[in-house]
Amino acid sequence: MSTPISETEARYALSSIERHRQQVLAEINVPAWYWLALAGGWVVLGVLADYGPAWAVIAGTVLFGAAHSTVAPRVLSGRRGSTHLSIHGDLVSRRIPFLVIGFLIVMTVATVGFALLLNADGARHPAALAGGVVALLVLSGGPTLMGWVRRRAERQEA
Amino acid sequence: MVTPVFDELIHPSTRLSIVAILASTDWADFSFVRDRLAMSDSALSKQFATLEEAGYVEVERAVSEHRRRVRVALTEAGRRAFEGHVAALQAVIAGAERSAV
Repeated sequence: MSTPISETEARYALSSIERHRQQVLAEINVPAWYWLALAGGWVVLGVLADYGPAWAVIAGTVLFGAAHSTVAPRVLSGRRGSTHLSIHGDLVSRRIPFLVIGFLIVMTVATVGFALLLNADGARHPAALAGGVVALLVLSGGPTLMGWVRRRAERQEA
Repeated sequence: MVTPVFDELIHPSTRLSIVAILASTDWADFSFVRDRLAMSDSALSKQFATLEEAGYVEVERAVSEHRRRVRVALTEAGRRAFEGHVAALQAVIAGAERSAV
């Protein structure tokens, strides 16, 4: 095999390839609207739990779960954080959906725990308050989690 | 196992950058590649035409939300050529390191 370039040129070309790969890895994300919708759903469910009839709470929870399971497979891979590209599967960890679901389970447990604490403390609207606080945690924690995933992917590729 | 094949078509720095971005994606918008490489539309179109002619990229022109959208993707042949080229670059470095020892 004859290669008409020097070692220096080869190193330069490889570092350029790596730089462009990093530009694509920087796009790993879950769309911002996903966290907004999730936080909104959290607040609505909390308010329903305090003010709505039992059937509305059940219907809301089922609807929320169904909507999430429809949307989640398309957005939780982290490959479609931007509408401008789809990141190649080999570059993105297959564990991202499990990380996000794990995060949501922790948030659910936090909501229930916080609502029970507020209830024990005599708060008038424990579920709505807990839902609101955890919705804020989802809004800040979700993007933070994805930032960590991105940094990890960039370190692994470098 | 990728066979190292130095690809003269891919190697020039602009085309190498374009193919490196596309190799990390399933597809990318024309505008994404243009913005990352700070190129003009016409210069980038010319490079895509060369790569498309070689069978390395597919250019899909779709109309969405009343806007023209151009998506670009590496073909299988393009991906193989890129992987072979990367392997050839690594082989150059490995060869130089061996002869230095």
